[in-house]
Amino acid sequence: MSSPDEHRPEAGENTPAGPADARGGQEETASPEGGASPSTADWQRLHPFSVWASTVVAGVFLLPSAIVGTVVLVVAGQSLWALAPVPGALAFLAFMTYLDMLRLRATRYRVTAERMEMRSGIVAKAYRSIPRERVRSVDVAAPLYARIFGLCSVTVGTGEKVGPGSDQLQLLYVTAEQGEWLRRDLLYRGTPTAAGPSGAPGDAADGEPGAGGDEETELARLDRRWFAYAPATTATLGVGLGAITGLLGLNAQTGGTGWDWISEQTGLPSIAEMSSFVVARFLLVVPLTLLGLLVSGVIVLTAVAVETWWDYRLTREADGTVRLRRGLLTSVSLSVEGRRLNGVTLHEPFVLRRTGGADVRAVATGLAAADDKKTNAKSRLSPAMPRQRARELAADLMRTPDSPLDVPLAAHPRAALRRRFTRATVVTVLGAVLAGALAWLQTMISAAWWKVVHEAEREFIPVPLATSTVEAAPSWGWAVLAVLISAVAFWYAVGSYRGLGHGLHPRYLVVRQGMAVRDTVTLERSAVIGWRITHSPFQRRLGLADVAATTAAGQGMYAANDVGLGQGLAWAGEAVPELLEPFLVRGDGHGGDEPSHG
Amino acid sequence: MDAMSADTPRLRPPRHRVDKRAVWWWTTRSLAVAAVLTAIPVVPAVIWEPPRFWLLLAAAVVGGFGLLITVVMPLWRYRVHRWEVTDTAVYTSSGWLWQEWRVAPMSRIQTVDTARGPLQRAFGLSSVTVTTASAAGPIEIAGLDHALATQVADQLTDTTQATPGDAT
Repeated sequence: MSSPDEHRPEAGENTPAGPADARGGQEETASPEGGASPSTADWQRLHPFSVWASTVVAGVFLLPSAIVGTVVLVVAGQSLWALAPVPGALAFLAFMTYLDMLRLRATRYRVTAERMEMRSGIVAKAYRSIPRERVRSVDVAAPLYARIFGLCSVTVGTGEKVGPGSDQLQLLYVTAEQGEWLRRDLLYRGTPTAAGPSGAPGDAADGEPGAGGDEETELARLDRRWFAYAPATTATLGVGLGAITGLLGLNAQTGGTGWDWISEQTGLPSIAEMSSFVVARFLLVVPLTLLGLLVSGVIVLTAVAVETWWDYRLTREADGTVRLRRGLLTSVSLSVEGRRLNGVTLHEPFVLRRTGGADVRAVATGLAAADDKKTNAKSRLSPAMPRQRARELAADLMRTPDSPLDVPLAAHPRAALRRRFTRATVVTVLGAVLAGALAWLQTMISAAWWKVVHEAEREFIPVPLATSTVEAAPSWGWAVLAVLISAVAFWYAVGSYRGLGHGLHPRYLVVRQGMAVRDTVTLERSAVIGWRITHSPFQRRLGLADVAATTAAGQGMYAANDVGLGQGLAWAGEAVPELLEPFLVRGDGHGGDEPSHG
Repeated sequence: MDAMSADTPRLRPPRHRVDKRAVWWWTTRSLAVAAVLTAIPVVPAVIWEPPRFWLLLAAAVVGGFGLLITVVMPLWRYRVHRWEVTDTAVYTSSGWLWQEWRVAPMSRIQTVDTARGPLQRAFGLSSVTVTTASAAGPIEIAGLDHALATQVADQLTDTTQATPGDAT
């Protein structure tokens, strides 16, 4: 091969006999130099600046607190102790830096024609190796502190576990050019190249993997108007509440003196004055409080959305790799091998759905993180955007002329609605019991008791409203509460039934469900690796079942819930004909072959 | 309930039942759990006088419930638990109140294991566990005769190795 780079020998020589045979997670005690000699030059180190990046981050947090500590001690007259914090912090930083340096020196990685390998560990040496064809995704992230040094972290996702609890391999940190080169090279499925990252990045970009980058097609780009959807979540009030209770908690930590001091200095009312004001003008203050919560929630959520989705671009490169770029302070680039993008999820939480928005998530192999929450966060391919735009984007991602999301979905049997009504009835009964209990309490508790309760509440809550509300509520209020709970329960039941649906596209199967969060999932039929059909005693009585397709992608299993058993089996049988068909019987042969679930 | 038209498919049960000894295995297991749960309120009842009646009542309820499950569950399970291995797929049914059918194609099987706990060993039984790349969990055929389980696992391993693809 005519590479200008001397670091990489030809493909054939790239696998040394020993370590390359050792599969993922295996302990390797031999020193890195113990491998076959021609390939040692190949091993790359992490960038030396990465140590300084970590030190700077730790220092930014440690040193100010050390200085504050010194000041506090000096003010408190403990001038001897005041000498401790700053040198202590510096010593700690130096120690951490030293450890990090050891880590840096112990870590080496290389990418050969067949596999990516990494050695790490100071005490317990680890050797991990991933065959290149198992690389499913490459995630390049550059937090602000790493970007200052021109560095980025690279996370390589595989479809299988390479170490304890993880199917990922992470490099902290390499240069931005190296990250970009790794991203292109690891997912490039053409002929393996011999271009190296370290010698001349410019040359590498002209190599074969680089050629793909020039023909990328843009699937989506940030429209700033989309940020208007960011606060459209049920969490908005909660986040506002969180922000405000955070402030109140801070005040409580100072023993309540914080606000007292501020109110003395600025002439603002004290906590006691405010709470009596609040209780006196109940009807005015409650809506104002809600408005305040809403506004602070909107500000926080919009800020988070801007940080996360700034500079958002979703592109498909010539070799089919889908690449996501986003982020203001932490810039993120995630690449998913096109073949491993087995479908998409149209994600519509309730409030967003009501405002006509949706976002798109990937159903892909190799995006699995430590837990479901992280997996979901990682598979987001778009910010909240208008629903029509989201559907177009989903269709583009699936490369189908007629979008699977336009497939008409079959409704589930009325029995599924009946099941939801049963649940709503249970909630209604519980709500009635709760309302009854509260009404009973109200009549039972005497004025003397109320005084004790109010005082107890005042101890814990800065704006004591809850018990006063209970005391002031008229007796018919409890009946209204019970009716309200019941109405919401039945409305939820109907909405959740309407959300159910399943359908088939020539290449994809589609399932939809959910009321609080409605997810429409499309999954490539060829990605289905099994079926799981379950039914509970309640479902059995109604002739319903959950029919789930298992897959290596995404959450691992996507179900048509509460589908008619026959209906669901017909759907599953048609979706992947050769798989379930041998185990299905049709017609009314009521022979002794009846399934044995009496 | 939807109308059972002539075209509505049904699942036929997998061909083979598990070993008859599995009934005794499940019975023993259930009895052991019931005995432990019943003993929890009995121990303080022996030591502590005042609430003795209520503790013994609780023990009686738990024990009665446990006995009921021990009588009903194993036979019910025996009727439901079935398995089948074809040239192309593994097909199982399991459970009793909550029932489950699983199908996995040979081409997507990653690993095949046999395992036997001390209790299963006492009855000469084994379980075969079949893993795919899905996070939905492995398929388990529990309560097979030990020799048969080994044979099934060998057959599965041979068939899987003969099938190309990386199972994802």
